[in-house]
Amino acid sequence: MKNFLQGKWLGHPLHGFLVHLPVALWPAALAFDLLTRAGIGGNAFVQTSFYAIGLGLASALLAIPTGLADWLDVKRENPAWKLGLYHLILNSILTGAALINLGLRINTFQTSASVALVPLSLSFLCTVLLLVSGYLGGRLVYNYGISVARASAEKRRQPTPMDRRLDRRN
Amino acid sequence: MLRNLLQGKFLQYPLHTLLVHFPIGLFGLSFLLDSLAWFVQPANALLRGAFYTLAAGLGMALLAGIPGLIDWATIRIDHPAKKTATLHLLLNLAAVGFYLLNFFLRRGTLTATTPPLFPFILSVIGIGLVSVSGYLGGRLVYENGIGVGRHRRWTEVPRQTIYASAQVTTPSGWIPVARAGSLKEGETLRVQVDGTTVMAIAKLQGVFYAFQEFCPHRGGPLSEGSFQSEQVQCPWHRSCFDVRIGQVTRGPAKVALQTYPVMVWADTLHVRLSPEFLPKDKGNTGQRQEKKREPVFS
Repeated sequence: MKNFLQGKWLGHPLHGFLVHLPVALWPAALAFDLLTRAGIGGNAFVQTSFYAIGLGLASALLAIPTGLADWLDVKRENPAWKLGLYHLILNSILTGAALINLGLRINTFQTSASVALVPLSLSFLCTVLLLVSGYLGGRLVYNYGISVARASAEKRRQPTPMDRRLDRRN
Repeated sequence: MLRNLLQGKFLQYPLHTLLVHFPIGLFGLSFLLDSLAWFVQPANALLRGAFYTLAAGLGMALLAGIPGLIDWATIRIDHPAKKTATLHLLLNLAAVGFYLLNFFLRRGTLTATTPPLFPFILSVIGIGLVSVSGYLGGRLVYENGIGVGRHRRWTEVPRQTIYASAQVTTPSGWIPVARAGSLKEGETLRVQVDGTTVMAIAKLQGVFYAFQEFCPHRGGPLSEGSFQSEQVQCPWHRSCFDVRIGQVTRGPAKVALQTYPVMVWADTLHVRLSPEFLPKDKGNTGQRQEKKREPVFS
């Protein structure tokens, strides 16, 4: 189960793949919201924004268990553990915000020509938190190497004379 | 420096991998809206949305291409990931080509109320290409560690591996590898001896150190590591080693690095392997054989 969630069958971490949609689409939703407020795009952009939040949310909900599986593998003494915890908390908040955002729009998105102020501010909140949280997530990979070369330790390892000496002793 | 900027070192986050979220997400949304337009009436709003998200995705794809190209160019020529990276590059170019065509075809039909078939087919092809290419890009990061820990290294990384042979040694068994002057302070060479031993040679405070290239933890490339006094830090999981004796100074690595004797003679760097690493020909009985050959190197 853990191996499935970590994406070992795919050869690519599932979390790192699923997060692309919310990371791209919630800021895009904010952009479309702002355009409708400026009188550009009208109902087409209201709808686009709605589907952007929806698709992002679907992917984000799938990304939660995969992210948890990755985080549970990080050792407590690794500084990445704390970073992962912040990433987790921020993501919970902003996924909740996206869920409310979608709920507020579901009745009006097919007819209204611009986005109301409350959903717009939720989009804004989502985007800001997402930038912070996404950056932290990227740090986990690019600074701490979480889920990098995870499956291939044995395959890559070059035997050293030290190993050979140990082998001989065993 | 422009290259460091484009590689995202100031952010400590590779710029290409940050920007690619947007084309992937936006092309995905465009495809969703396109697909919905076959079922939901009136479809015009969805089709307009699909067009504008496609356009935004295209713009972001072109933007992401610039740091991507720089990243591709800085992967070592003989790196096993270079082929994957080239394929990733070509697939992305093809995807951008299809989306450009798609964009121009859709631009004329913005008032349509039924989904146009040919642009939809182009979108399907585009999504397919982006999926495969994105997967390859992910492999480059998660399997090959491209871009991981790169921001900690500020000096040049080796452009290619130097191939040396234990068959070609000085009379006392030293293997010539490269001109000592070719290495600047804080830089490294990557040397492969006879396909059996891969080592990194670093110049730190004017002194040369040779040590095993692959980190004993998960095989991170130490020739691309960062240095602090006599310590090397693996770019991937931040294990630290003392390059003088190979000892682990910080985990997660547990096994010490193999280090090799290195000397400069006649402005040429020479390394030495322990006898057990020499090729097992008929003469090699574990005792070092002295070969009377001239030093040859590239």
